[in-house]
Amino acid sequence: MAAVPKEKPSRLDENRANFARYKEDVKKRGKPFYPYAMFHDTIMSLVVVCTIVGLAVIWKWSAFGPHHDPTHKGLLGPEVDPPADPGTTSFVPRPDWYFYFLFYLLRIFKWPESVFLGTVGVPTIALMLLIGLPFLDRRRERRISARPVAMVAAVLTIVSMGVLTWKGATAKEALASEVKADIPRWTSQENLPPAAHAGALLFATAGCTACHTYAGSGGSNLGAPDLTDIGSRNLGIQFQINHLKCPSCVNPGSPMPKFASLGDSRLHQLAVFLEASKGTH
Amino acid sequence: MAITRKPTKAQLRRQKMEELVMYPLDWLEERSGLVGGVRYFLFRNVPADINWMQTLGSAALTAFLVQAITGVILAMYYDPSAATDPATGKPVAWESIVNITDHLFMGWLVRGMHKWGASVFIILMFLHMGRVFLFGAYKYPRELNWIIGVLILVMGMMEGFTGYLLPWDQTAYWASVVGINLNGTAPFLGPWLAQFLRGGQEIGGETLTRFYSLHMLVIPGAIIALITLHLYLVIRLGVTSPPWSKDAAGREPVDEPSSARSGLTRPVPHAEPGGRQ
Repeated sequence: MAAVPKEKPSRLDENRANFARYKEDVKKRGKPFYPYAMFHDTIMSLVVVCTIVGLAVIWKWSAFGPHHDPTHKGLLGPEVDPPADPGTTSFVPRPDWYFYFLFYLLRIFKWPESVFLGTVGVPTIALMLLIGLPFLDRRRERRISARPVAMVAAVLTIVSMGVLTWKGATAKEALASEVKADIPRWTSQENLPPAAHAGALLFATAGCTACHTYAGSGGSNLGAPDLTDIGSRNLGIQFQINHLKCPSCVNPGSPMPKFASLGDSRLHQLAVFLEASKGTH
Repeated sequence: MAITRKPTKAQLRRQKMEELVMYPLDWLEERSGLVGGVRYFLFRNVPADINWMQTLGSAALTAFLVQAITGVILAMYYDPSAATDPATGKPVAWESIVNITDHLFMGWLVRGMHKWGASVFIILMFLHMGRVFLFGAYKYPRELNWIIGVLILVMGMMEGFTGYLLPWDQTAYWASVVGINLNGTAPFLGPWLAQFLRGGQEIGGETLTRFYSLHMLVIPGAIIALITLHLYLVIRLGVTSPPWSKDAAGREPVDEPSSARSGLTRPVPHAEPGGRQ
């Protein structure tokens, strides 16, 4: 039998030898979990509980008073918001802060071309990369200075998530009162006929501008398209009504809520307004 | 031959006491091995150079326990009904939250801790993940535990999503309407998932009870199972020394040739202290 040349040990062999050395080392030179590590853990846990209690106390006492009045917010927001009302749609959909990065991602991608990237594409890829990390980075190296790629990737991830969260937190909200003041400007810029005025008022107050922009008014959210010249597509009154009643029935995959609760006559007014919006001149 | 002396009364009493204390422990150990398990957990060695950043995992666990305890108390008083209370014209779920906040003894504290504890839990999970990344502690043989950790993070965020609706207020309602619609845009399973979450064509009472069940039974059950696995693997595999430690557990012997190192494009002086194991 020919002599097998001595090969370099495989990565797995090295990993196993390393781990065996680690185990032996910890056994020989380590210190017991109790009391050393447990002491640190206990202190940290106390800090955590105190922080949580502290936040609860600040929330309560800074919002003390007539706190069912949503204008009385305190330092950490109101204790109780107005009850859910499926009939009023003039509310900005806003998730909890740790979803802001996803929420803001949908401002970057627009319906219908690329909104899919914001709702599913990017989050799915990010999650896959996160789960797959140990298989993407299989080197044994742990020292920070010897892992430049990993460190740059980490910094980029933290910065982009931070920016998206911050942007989501400070995103401009379209207040119905402010948007209402823009109606005369819309009328002149878009040459809206008098028949479209009732619809314009509804558009400003029924929550449409929470997500859609229109002639420079409103906040762009959740991938909703700009509606400044929606009427130039000549989709027709009936299409607009059907779409408002059930957006996902007409545009499969649309995340827009249903506005059927507005009632047929008001939906008709909105549709007239949208069809009359041929773009600014 | 050793001199056998009659034990004194005090010695006898002490022996009896010891037997009394040890008896239930021995009984339990003989039948379950749990006492030995706990002893191993408490007195196993950890690397001597572990650092404060390595308390973030147990800190996240503490935050989860706070959520579990306050959640159980809230579940005793919360009423997941979207029906309108005929006396006040307000939704029952919303009213029960107001009642907990305003009238229940210390209810504001329990609810406040649950609400803010959620944020603390999420932050601590992210910080813990950052620590594990920085230390390279997801590498062999801890890959599986990294994946379990990511799943716990995802489950934690699902807790946030489902819990947000429960107060049944305007913010929660409209955020959930859009959130469920967004789930519906996913390919294949999306529409089915949205339908399942809503419990019908429209978001309403069915949605609320579904979210409640997911929020306090299904997802927490999954999290508890995953945390148990996570801790089992932490105990089995041990924790890593900081990678910058000069005295890292399992570091390579200084006089070993550097040829054993792999994956680096440039040679590293072998005398450099290595934080690998």
